[in-house]
Formats: sequence, C-alpha cells, structure tokens
Amino acid sequence: MISPDIVIVFVSLFIVFIALGFYGKYWRRGDLNHVHEWSLAGRKLGTTLVFFLIGADLYTAYSFVAIPSGVFAKGSLYFFAIPYVMLTFAVALVTMPKLWTLAREKGYITASDFVKDRFNSRTLAIMIAITGIVAELPYIALQIVGMQSVLTVMLAGYANAQLVQEISLLIAFVILAAFTYTSGLRGATLTAIFKDILVWITVIVVIIVVPISIGGFGNAFKAAGNSYVSLPENLVPAYATLILGSALALYLYPHAINGVLSAQSAQKLRSSTALLPLYGIGLAILALMGILVYAVPDAMKFLSGFPESSRGILVVPSLILYTLPGWFSGVALLGIFVGGLVPAAIMAMAQANLLTRNIIKEIKPNLSDKSEIKITKVSSTVFKFIALGFVFSVPATYAISLQLLGGILIVQILPAVLFGLYTKSLTKVPLIIGLVVGISSGIFMMESANNFGPLASSLIKTMWGPLYIAVISLAFNLAIAFGGSVIQRKMNSRKQVI
Amino acid sequence: MNMHSKTRYVILALLVLIPSFVNLGVPIYNRNLPELFGMPFFYWFQTIWLVACTGFYLAYAKLVEKKL
Repeated sequence: MISPDIVIVFVSLFIVFIALGFYGKYWRRGDLNHVHEWSLAGRKLGTTLVFFLIGADLYTAYSFVAIPSGVFAKGSLYFFAIPYVMLTFAVALVTMPKLWTLAREKGYITASDFVKDRFNSRTLAIMIAITGIVAELPYIALQIVGMQSVLTVMLAGYANAQLVQEISLLIAFVILAAFTYTSGLRGATLTAIFKDILVWITVIVVIIVVPISIGGFGNAFKAAGNSYVSLPENLVPAYATLILGSALALYLYPHAINGVLSAQSAQKLRSSTALLPLYGIGLAILALMGILVYAVPDAMKFLSGFPESSRGILVVPSLILYTLPGWFSGVALLGIFVGGLVPAAIMAMAQANLLTRNIIKEIKPNLSDKSEIKITKVSSTVFKFIALGFVFSVPATYAISLQLLGGILIVQILPAVLFGLYTKSLTKVPLIIGLVVGISSGIFMMESANNFGPLASSLIKTMWGPLYIAVISLAFNLAIAFGGSVIQRKMNSRKQVI
Repeated sequence: MNMHSKTRYVILALLVLIPSFVNLGVPIYNRNLPELFGMPFFYWFQTIWLVACTGFYLAYAKLVEKKL
C-alpha cells in the first residue's frame, strides 16, 4: 500500500491542474462564443506555446502506457515509436504549414472543412469527418486506460479499489468536461504546459535514478532477454512499416490538426514542429522503462500479482512507485495521470468540431453561430463520457486493440487531406472509392490477421515478412485515388472531343 | 526556376529526406554494438538521432523562411 504523502502530493497537484484549467477562460481573453476562439484559442499561439500544446497533445497515454507496455511484453519491436515520431514531424513540417495557411485564409477549423472546399464534395467531407470521429474514440479510451493504470497502482491493496478507481475517474472527467466547456483550448493549453513540466521532471529523474540504482542499463537488458537487445531480423519489415504507417497517420488525427491550426503563424508552426522531436527523448526514456523494470525486483514482484495481460500497462506507474523517493512518486504519477487527461480534452474538442461543422451543419445549413458553438461544447462533453463508458464496460486490452484499428482507419484520409494540398490531379469519386476500399481492406486484414478473434496485432504476414496493415491498405487507397482520377480525366476529355 | 532557387529546393528536400531515410533504413541501426553505458546501439542511436533530426528540421524551417 502506498504512503499518504504520495496521495497528498498527487491530490494537491491535481488541484493546481484544475485551477489552471478554469483560469484558461481569462487567459488571453477572447470572445468564446466563436468557434475559432473556443477550439483554436483564437489562432494566437506562438512557437513555445504551440510546442507545449502539440507536445502534450501528441505525446499521450499511447507514449506513456501503450509503448512501454509493448516494449515490456514484446521487446525492441515497440521502440518503433521513436523513429515514428521523428518521421511524423518531417511529414508535418512539409504539409502542415500549407494546411495552416489555407485554413487561415478560408477560416477552416477541421480537415473536413478543407476537403469540402477543395473537392467540392459534401459526401467526401462527411465521410472524412465520420472517419475522424470513429478513429478518435478508441484514442480517448486509451487515455482513460492510461489514467486507470496510475490509479490501479496507487490503490493496490486497498479495499474497494475498483470502486474508488471508477469514482475517481468519473470525478476527473466531470472536472475536465467542466473546464473544457468554459475555457476551450485555452484551458487545455495551460494544463498542457503543467503536464509537460511534470512529465519532463519525471523522465529526467527516472533516467538518472533508475540506471544508478540497478547498476547500469546492462543489467536490465541482461534480465530482460534476447529479443530486447536489438530487433530480430524477421521483424525488420514490420518495424519499418510501423514507422511509416504511424508517421503518416498521426497528423491526420483530428486532435493533431486542431493543435496545428491554433498556431499564430505558419512560421511559428514550423519552428515548433522542428523542435518537437526533442520531446521524443522523453518518449524514449518512457519506452526504456519497459526494459528497466526487469532489473527492479520489487516492481516485478508487484506486477506478478496482476494477470499477465494487464501487467504491461502498469509498468510505468509501478516502476515510478518502486524506484523514486516517496513524495516524488506523487509528482510523477500525477504527470502520467494528467498526461491522459489533456489529450482527451483536445480529442473530444476536435471530434465535436467535426460533428458540428461537417455533419450537423451539412444537414442543417442555417445553423446560427450561437447554436454552432453550443452544440460543439455539448458534444465535446458527450464524447468524453462515451469513451469513459466504453472503458468501464470492456477490458482495458480492447481499448488498446481498437486504437490500433483507429490508426489503420485514420490514415485512409491521407490522399484527400495531404495530397489534396499539393496536386490538382485528384478527383472526388476515386477519392471516395479509395477511402472505402482502404477502410474495408484495412478492417478485413486486421480481422484475418487476428483469425477473427480479439484484435491483438496490427501486422499481417506477407511474402516480405510481417507488415503493418495501415501501409498496405493505404497503398490500395492511393492506387485507386490516383489511378481512378487519371481514368476519369481521360474519359472526360474524350467526351469533350466527341 | 533559376539556378539559385533550384539549389535551395534540393537542399530543402535533402534536409527532410536524409533523416527520413535513416529512420526507415532499419538495418542501418539494428545492431547491439557498440554499447553506451550498457545500452545497446539500437536504443541509444535512435534516441540520439532525435537530436540530430531536430537540427535538420530547424535548418529546414530557417531555409524555407529565408527570403531570396
């Protein structure tokens, strides 16, 4: 059982977090009855703020919990997260300033706004909005799983742990919903800075304290075993395609685009994006915790008290608890806890924008600005509780599997959103067919790779070895989108000749 | 396109493509040795490469904005 000083530190810092969230409303005051003020903080964030906001927005419970969990269970394969983030910022550096510029000119809030305007197709825009909303849900659920893992470790040994945990999560979400409702992205930005500071203090302390206490990294790698030292030869294609597919997908997620569009200028967006790989050092340290834990007998003993499938997600909080000095664990655990809350707020906000602007407004075009913002705020609250209900009703491992599927779905909007920024040769019908084929082939391959059982792997065996399904289904999608557009163009020009 | 802006275009492309090539070229860094503080090459190389990437990307950001 944990000592009370950890709980006191944890709760006091959480109160600071709440205060910052509510204070957001008054920070750089703007008229929050406008969508761009509420969900993009008035498009006024400079280099440093965008760095912290996008940093907190993109380095989520996926980095804090799912990746270390994968490294712990499967070894080096899951270290793909590091080159993946490096590559994703290259993609963002080239494409996002262009999207930002168009969005500022034409007032876009979502990727779907851009697609509708660019391809003059409501169908395609609505499909892209739905894909975004669906892919984002399990991502929010994953954030909650991360928060849950912190509480599980803190409450282990206490009576009614399960009940206390669910009530705590519910309270945390009610508070989050309340300050997101009143402060919008301003609240998220301030809490993001707070989260970033706590996470950075944590990883720096961990990377100094833990290797010293276990007598060097070498011991951890010895304790962990062979598949942890470097990548087994047969997994090289899997590693490379996981990097590629994930890197292409990340900036297509609605929450990423939301963060991008809140920047004050394309130049500031570029500088902060260029700096974001540095944040990946924190991610690398967290991923290494999945190996370091093998050399900490107390933590391993604690983990062995849990079923094997759920040990992975508990690795980071248990390692923190068993290696860092008492009260300091409270700081670190809260960092991981709010590390899930901040992105959850931005994700739900981005989903709400898609639902209101790109689906409801399409059906009811004469929506007033006032009703638009009202519906956006309410639906962002609803989305948070849908994700919470989901986590309460299914095992944690489901959330992680569905998040894998989410990545395969979201990458299918790439031809319209990213290539749409540059090439004039794409047309709407092939894009729609490509999207449908990409999504259905992705789901089918995912199901068949897992023998139509619970989704545990997003890799499929091919003649080149196991490959990440997102890359294969995206290849189909791209082939149809480009091939189809060429054929359509030829047919149109023939018609004109006749 | 004059010669000057063509060179600039090539440099910009390289600043993004070189780090990407290394990241995707898994066999380049998939080895155990040399170790650093007991950490296999595979891990420390990728972690340090994050810093190098930041350098490439910052250079890209600066060059894009430079007026000709």
